[in-house]
Amino acid sequence: MKIGLFLGCNIPLRRPDIEYSIRYMLEKLDIEVIDLDGTGCCPAFGTMPSVDLVGWCVGGAWNLSIAEEKGVDIITGCGSCYGSLNESRYHMEKHPEIKEKVNEILGKVGMKYEGKVKIWNIYNYVYEVIGLKKLKNKIKYNLKGMKCGVHVGCHNLWPSRAYTSNDEDVFFPTRLREICEIIGGEAPAYGSMLDCCGMGALASLAKDKSLEIFKNKVRLMIEEINPDLCVTGCSSCLIRFDNDWAQIYKQGDINEIRPSFHIAQLLALVLGAEPEKAVGLAEGPVNEIIEKIKK
Amino acid sequence: MTEAKIINLVEESEPNFSDELKEMGIDVKKLRACIKCSACASVCQMALAGLEFYSNKIVHAAILGLREMFLDDPSSSVWGCQSCNRCVEICPMDVKPFEIVMAIRRICIREYAFPPSVIDGLRNYYTMGHAVIVKGYEKRREKVGLSPIPPTLIGNEKMRKKFQEILKNTVFAEIAPFPLD
Repeated sequence: MKIGLFLGCNIPLRRPDIEYSIRYMLEKLDIEVIDLDGTGCCPAFGTMPSVDLVGWCVGGAWNLSIAEEKGVDIITGCGSCYGSLNESRYHMEKHPEIKEKVNEILGKVGMKYEGKVKIWNIYNYVYEVIGLKKLKNKIKYNLKGMKCGVHVGCHNLWPSRAYTSNDEDVFFPTRLREICEIIGGEAPAYGSMLDCCGMGALASLAKDKSLEIFKNKVRLMIEEINPDLCVTGCSSCLIRFDNDWAQIYKQGDINEIRPSFHIAQLLALVLGAEPEKAVGLAEGPVNEIIEKIKK
Repeated sequence: MTEAKIINLVEESEPNFSDELKEMGIDVKKLRACIKCSACASVCQMALAGLEFYSNKIVHAAILGLREMFLDDPSSSVWGCQSCNRCVEICPMDVKPFEIVMAIRRICIREYAFPPSVIDGLRNYYTMGHAVIVKGYEKRREKVGLSPIPPTLIGNEKMRKKFQEILKNTVFAEIAPFPLD
């Protein structure tokens, strides 16, 4: 089986250890990764989507048509990419007049968007296409009962109408937690589970306010379930949970910290990846968890 | 206690605002179906963060045609929207508050009323194909065993030229807040 890897911006340019992990875990699970040469930004919500609806769809269709040309579906580890690509796909599907305008524009450089590509995030792909049973059979290590504070990420869940694959109850998601459990962890729900991590537009516009949301979320999480590690379904959320959390902890703005992993990183680790590559750019205290996994 | 603001609709309401919203892709009939239940506010992360305006307030102001309010909003609230779509998911009347926010951003952009960070994102997107470019990526990639340049627009000048060509054929060519050439 093949899948086109859509990288976006933050994964290849800020946290390429997630890119390494996605490539590693898919290969170990017998999926051939196809590079989508010439794709770029999804586009991010603060760019073309905020300028023009057709322009947004042109940006999305640029990326999707590259995958179509290669005859593959798309997988992404970034929630914003997953959301923006799916929403532009949805707008073009529901409004043929938009799709027509988009194709007029793409046609000027000899490209065409037909609407054949399905866009996956990591955990839905593992859940639906690879399957939990296969994942369980393939892992080399397991989480040894460690408790995971799971953070799914807004764009992985809503707007459900734009997504072709999703949790059954999008206000009480279980899929990412089930994956953590099948690899030997515990993954209880908690009250602030669905609160936003604060990354995104809010972090650019009002950094302090966006950090307050995050601090509140993780304080409540620790109080309620006291996890050994955190697991995110989105790369932007991981930047918040790992890089930003480490920063504010160092500055004394928060008393507690937990090691955090993107789901692709955690899967790469239990499938046997070298930690220096799979989580080589982590700023949070991940070493102890890695040692426990590898014991 | 803050005094409640009295809005003089005769002076402050812009009667053609709904036409503008329509041009930006909004189904105005659906917007007016809002029953003001505030379910969208109960899940809005802008409300949680304490921004001045958030989902239901933005919907109400849009219905009332308070165009200038959006252009003058000192905390640039519509630009703080996380695009999380909780509001779209929960709205019982299918008003789609997030899409209203995006339509208002499109109107603000045409009036050059937006926070400075928006220009950087758009410029990066147009020139390099990536909205977010974090310096030093080549070294970070090599550190984790990847090629220094990813297989994306950032390392592909030929495709970038094509990409810019298509953007020049969108409305971006007329309203980009910086010169395209």
